[in-house]
Amino acid sequence: MSHTVLVCDDAIFMRTMITDILAQAGFEVVGEAETGTQAVEKYRQLKPDLVTMDIVMPDMGGIDAVREIVKQDPDAKILMCSAMGQQALVVEAIQAGAKDFVVKPFQPSRVLEAVQRVLG
Amino acid sequence: MDLSQYAELFLAESREHLSACNQLLLEWERNPAALEPVGGLFRAVHTIKGMAATMGYGRVADLAHRMENLLDHLRRGGRTPSDEIIQLLFRATDALEKSVMLAVTGHEREADLSVLEAIDDAALQFRPAAQPSALARLRPEPEPAAEPPSAPQVPAGRSPAGRTRTVHVTIRPEAPLKGGRAMLVVKKAERFGAVHRLQPPSAAFESDDFDGRLEFDLETAAVPGDIENALRAVGDVERVVVGTVALDEGLVTTGEIPVTGPAVAASSVARSRHIRVDLRRLDTLMDLIGELVTERGRLNELAARWLGHGGDPEIDEVAIQISRLSADLQNEIIQARMTPVWQVFDRFPRLVRDVARQLDKQVVFRVEGKEIELDREILDELGDPLVHLLRNAVDHGIEPPAERKRHKKNPEGEIVLAAVRERSSVAISISDDGRGIDRVKILDKAKREGVVGPHVESLSDDQLLRVLARPGFSTAESVTSVSGRGVGIDVAMTRIRALGGSVEIRTQPGKGTAFVLRLPVTLAIVRALIAAVGQERYALPLTYVAETVEYGTTPTTTMEGRDAIVLRDRVVPLVDLRKLLGTDGAAASPPPPPPPRRPVIVLEMGERRAGVIVDGMLSQQEIVVKGFDAPQGTLPVFSGATIMGDGVPALILDAAGLV
Repeated sequence: MSHTVLVCDDAIFMRTMITDILAQAGFEVVGEAETGTQAVEKYRQLKPDLVTMDIVMPDMGGIDAVREIVKQDPDAKILMCSAMGQQALVVEAIQAGAKDFVVKPFQPSRVLEAVQRVLG
Repeated sequence: MDLSQYAELFLAESREHLSACNQLLLEWERNPAALEPVGGLFRAVHTIKGMAATMGYGRVADLAHRMENLLDHLRRGGRTPSDEIIQLLFRATDALEKSVMLAVTGHEREADLSVLEAIDDAALQFRPAAQPSALARLRPEPEPAAEPPSAPQVPAGRSPAGRTRTVHVTIRPEAPLKGGRAMLVVKKAERFGAVHRLQPPSAAFESDDFDGRLEFDLETAAVPGDIENALRAVGDVERVVVGTVALDEGLVTTGEIPVTGPAVAASSVARSRHIRVDLRRLDTLMDLIGELVTERGRLNELAARWLGHGGDPEIDEVAIQISRLSADLQNEIIQARMTPVWQVFDRFPRLVRDVARQLDKQVVFRVEGKEIELDREILDELGDPLVHLLRNAVDHGIEPPAERKRHKKNPEGEIVLAAVRERSSVAISISDDGRGIDRVKILDKAKREGVVGPHVESLSDDQLLRVLARPGFSTAESVTSVSGRGVGIDVAMTRIRALGGSVEIRTQPGKGTAFVLRLPVTLAIVRALIAAVGQERYALPLTYVAETVEYGTTPTTTMEGRDAIVLRDRVVPLVDLRKLLGTDGAAASPPPPPPPRRPVIVLEMGERRAGVIVDGMLSQQEIVVKGFDAPQGTLPVFSGATIMGDGVPALILDAAGLV
């Protein structure tokens, strides 16, 4: 059975690209979220095996969403999607409970490596 | 990875964000003390930067990056921006938009990036004194980075679980965000036991200066090999050295273990809830459904005929079933084509602002009913007419601030663009609270140009609109670059009429002017009344059919020299289609004589009505509207054509041309 993934990013472009990369590798993207609030809500509903989380999102940012999700499920497997220059935020996200991170622009191989690490 | 497949999505989404930038800048310009716009701008530009970098559009990403930098400084400084800064950001947004367009068409190198210098200068000028990482401020409450939550502090060497080992880790020099990686290493190590004496402290990981080397003491019972393997698995780790410091032993170093690449997930069938469809596909699908609907009509006719000749009644069931299915299909496709009006409206606030600035007017612009949906094709066509009408509203409608003050009006004029869903149409109104249209002036000019007779004393709203809509008619005293060249209302009206819509005007001197555009919700398939005139059939869209009466059963009169009927105290002018279309006598074979009792179809468009006399009414049915390039000299009363169930074409009468 393939692993289920929740993709959180406020840009459709990014969601599409991540979804394509994951789908081609056999993952099942079961949901998408555009804001941190949605991410927390969908995590509760869908209980995915993996979450990809953008850092900068309207409403509730990615890091707060990580905190909320980890509060619900300490074993949540969350992969942060960050941009260059977001070092401090990535460090903060990891302290909050994110399991790994990838840096934009995405290379499919690096995304999949990170996903394997998180799920492994 | 083939990125070209993402280019359209990149463009579409970048446009949305650029549109958001314009909206936010407008908001900021109106209220420079507001704190929200800069955060939104930052997010929008940041998103464009990330997407552009992913697409490999270096110049777009660079421009976005420097804008982001300036915005970050502005946001952190918390100072009210000067008008100059806001104008610079408008220019930068324009430059970003142009470079996005050029990038997706493969001409990124042509992008004009001359605005960069001004952006960098401004960024320098607004650089705040404190220096935490730029993006760190995105957090709702910036808080000092905490030490990693570690296991309860156990003094070194007193662990009951095992011994303390010193761990040295080096992150690959080429790895991005080494600090993040280092933090993951520490988190992983904590699974084995308590981490002490972390060097550098975790706060240093947040800095871009972090060089990727860290060391710490790990208090654990685990064997060094397991620790090494686990830490290497963090990824981007170049070297792990786990030593042993027994209570008073020397350092013992174990060998290094090569890092092996992880396996990629086995592929299996993937599912997703959304797919992207090229709009042209949707258009083709719509055409095909249209043909299916036509064939359905034929099938229904055949079934009825065959049944009449003692055929198998099952064919009727099949015909009904197919009718139902194709109706559902058609409905789904129409829904799929519906697009919210904001996709076109969102660029107008910027337009109105630019025009107002150019003309030194003060205008508050409001948009209502953004979520109302229209067929994409109609929406696409609507942009230009609305631009004309909005420019007109700013230029001719809203008075200069001084004049408004003299008339005890708020120096700030108001323009409202509103969309409202009506029964089977959508009404879009553009209203201003300006000076209104001077009927006397228009009437004088209309008389001089012979548009109306010399004895006409006043113009009704309808007449006024007809005068205004004459090509080349302009009362602007001076031609400005904005409007007043006599193009505008006529162009707008022609477009709207071509879409099967109508235009109404309401104006009051000193109070303002409103244009109301009524448009069908969808273009492609409409319910129509099929009428016979002579040997031809004509379709009248039901949207505009108010009622039908029999000619001769209502009192008749004349109105401005035309025959008319009186319907519930209202005079409705008549149009005899036989006469209008020249059916009498023109055809090779003489047409059948008009039946003794002829129906009148009363069309209604806004406040205007007209009765159309036909020979007979045949049916009500759904017709598929086909584009129609009228040959020169065709009467301007047809808006399109359709193919009837028997394969014979019929013309669609344009209600707007008749009333």
